[in-house]
Amino acid sequence: MLPLEDIKILDFMWALAGPGTTRALADYGATVVRIESTTRIDGSRTVGPFYKNKAAHDGSGLFGTYNAGKLGLGLDLNKPEAREVVLDLVRWADVVCESFSPKAMRSWKLDYESLRALKPDIIMLSSCLMGQTGPMSGFVGFGNMAAAVSGFYNLCGWPDRSPSGPFGAYTDYLAPRFGAVSILAALDYRKRTGKGQYIDQSQAESALHFLTPALLDCAVNGRVLQALGNDDLNCAPHGVYAAAGEDRWIAIACLNDEQWRRLCVVMKRTDLATNESFSTASSRLRNRMQLDDIIQVWSRGIEAEKAEKLLQSAGVPASVVQDSKEVCEDKQLASRGYLVEIDHNIQGKTVVEASRFKLSRTPARIPRQAPSVGRDNQYVLQNILHYDEARITELVASEVLQ
Amino acid sequence: MLSRYRVLDLTTERGLLCGQILADLGADVIKIEPPGGSPARQLAPFFEDRPDRDRSIYWWSYNRNKRSITLDIETDDGRALLYRLAARAQFLIESYDPGYLSDRELGYEDVATHNREIIYVSITPFGQAGPKASYADSDLVILAAGGPLLLCGDEDRAPIRVSIAQAYLHACGDAAVGALVANHERQRSGMGQQVDVSAQQSVTPATQANNLAFRLDADEARRMAGGVRVGSMRVPLVWRAKDGYVTLLFLFGRQLGVFTKRLMTYLYEQEACDAATRDKDWIEYGSLLAGGQEPMQEYTRIVAIIADFVSTRTKADLFADALERGLLIAPIATVSDVLSSPQLKARHYWQALEHPELARTFSYPGPFAKFSEVPIVYHRRPPLVGEHNREIYCEELGLSESEIQDLTRRGII
Repeated sequence: MLPLEDIKILDFMWALAGPGTTRALADYGATVVRIESTTRIDGSRTVGPFYKNKAAHDGSGLFGTYNAGKLGLGLDLNKPEAREVVLDLVRWADVVCESFSPKAMRSWKLDYESLRALKPDIIMLSSCLMGQTGPMSGFVGFGNMAAAVSGFYNLCGWPDRSPSGPFGAYTDYLAPRFGAVSILAALDYRKRTGKGQYIDQSQAESALHFLTPALLDCAVNGRVLQALGNDDLNCAPHGVYAAAGEDRWIAIACLNDEQWRRLCVVMKRTDLATNESFSTASSRLRNRMQLDDIIQVWSRGIEAEKAEKLLQSAGVPASVVQDSKEVCEDKQLASRGYLVEIDHNIQGKTVVEASRFKLSRTPARIPRQAPSVGRDNQYVLQNILHYDEARITELVASEVLQ
Repeated sequence: MLSRYRVLDLTTERGLLCGQILADLGADVIKIEPPGGSPARQLAPFFEDRPDRDRSIYWWSYNRNKRSITLDIETDDGRALLYRLAARAQFLIESYDPGYLSDRELGYEDVATHNREIIYVSITPFGQAGPKASYADSDLVILAAGGPLLLCGDEDRAPIRVSIAQAYLHACGDAAVGALVANHERQRSGMGQQVDVSAQQSVTPATQANNLAFRLDADEARRMAGGVRVGSMRVPLVWRAKDGYVTLLFLFGRQLGVFTKRLMTYLYEQEACDAATRDKDWIEYGSLLAGGQEPMQEYTRIVAIIADFVSTRTKADLFADALERGLLIAPIATVSDVLSSPQLKARHYWQALEHPELARTFSYPGPFAKFSEVPIVYHRRPPLVGEHNREIYCEELGLSESEIQDLTRRGII
């Protein structure tokens, strides 16, 4: 039996932060019924990478990986016939999750108070950019924007240039971890007390825990940290250096004196190891630009893979800055089963990312590809809600299941 | 919510957030430090820039709501004490290099013989096994190996990371989820297990599935100053406003095109573009560009119109209009902007924690979520080294005063 096989989730999530939360639970056996309508498809279906660059139906690798293992029920929530189906699903579910902007669930009368009246011990997670309350609660948008207002953009860049920002919808990668632990903790509490509860997750507020040292430094010392390029507050050298070839890079960090001395040996520059300008962490931090120049001279003449091998053999933290091909072929990630090949309705086979953590006795599995809209209508209505054929036929005729 | 659970937190500087998440949720988390204190206490920044083991802001960031004891796990007596502690705990979290604790008879199998129900969470750079398992690591190295690093930064310079270390925080988030999945299972089976977290794998979501591009035979995203390149498209995401920067999404398709329609209506009303520009097919615009029906120069022209318009407005004005009209524009906030955010203030986000030994009270980032039944409470400031030795060794394990003195004299606690 899978760890979460007894958990039933009604999932109104869309984009990334929400679906990432329920994906983690589906991996370990939770039954996740995903509601989606062809009148308002999940935007992540329209974001790449697309199989063979075709922005086609079920072709988004992004949507595919965030929704693998879930069941898909097509339901147009703006049609009155949808309501009974949703309410039956609420009666079935342990957890209801949604990631619309705050007013949406209220407008459908599917807010927590309404659901609790129907099922007193329901657990409901609402996840949105800024939270359910406050003057910016109506702020619509994506994780890029939450990352901008939360300080991540300003802290990723070069000191002499405009900010670059982290890649993509950054807070969407962080929020699912907090969302999933919140659900699991609430389930644990309910098991003991019989009480459900409402969880208001502001994706920005969750994500700020990834910037705590900078926020506290400002609160405590009044210092406003600015982007440092690749510099580090504690150690040098610390950077990304050009290797031989085009757009090839090697990341190197010396966290202590010993690693620095080893780097000198690898670069055949043992003269530097005894140079007082670089002998301690604070002197290296002071002279870090000079260090970066020295390392660059060495790194430009060597292939990134070879540099990684030499440095790692000497115990110096280093890695090729890997591209998609290298990550896909990375033997370490492969040894953990990072990419899983599963059947796909159009592609024949496709790949999705596996559960990132591994449980030694009860491993995760991915039973099916992400659903197209309404793929599992029959299964959900018949096997989960136990509707009879007449009822199902009636729903099909009312065009609500799309 | 998790108040009936005890967690032993043996993590180094890599794994501190995992225990803090569980502590915020109410678990009794005991930070076990080597005598003299955790090496994480040596990490900058420091309160008033004075390096001291009880003044590290890095330490404060990830040890709230925990208690601290000291224990030298390298000694036989220290190990015996850890077994006794583990017998009464439901979770153990560690982040040593693979094999380090097994070599000291403190690996999962060793601890499980003293407590078969224990959930043993291991956070490592690359995972417990595999060809890179013993690689030397750092935040930057993990980000390079996992994929996100290459996607960040300006195309004419090296890829860059976020200036606050992120990699192990991703791993800690996954570790906390894994711990609670295993906990749910344990309530049925009565059995513990090991949760194996690899920071390299945990940072992969930060590529937004771009890691899959090679296997899907798709164009890979490429880094670009203030934006991203995909195929022949250069997508700007950072725009210069009158008094700083904003992010603005000028994107197309069934969902995002709707927002662009609103944006162009807004620009038209502000007399920044003509009606013909406003009325382009923003839903299909991406396909039109790709198919050549719309020339790329036209796209470039409109990007320039938006850039000109944004440069004449302040961040606050743009954001106010965005909130009112549902536009995808957000100010790029500095750390001090975040601290003074009216939204966070209205939600009572910041939590005061008193540090009595410094006679100061500091404002901490608040709960990661708001729970209606059992709200997260910040009830303990990050502990001093071994602050709870007596409480735990004497009152809970029942050691006598002379035993404590003996252990202290021998440097075990």
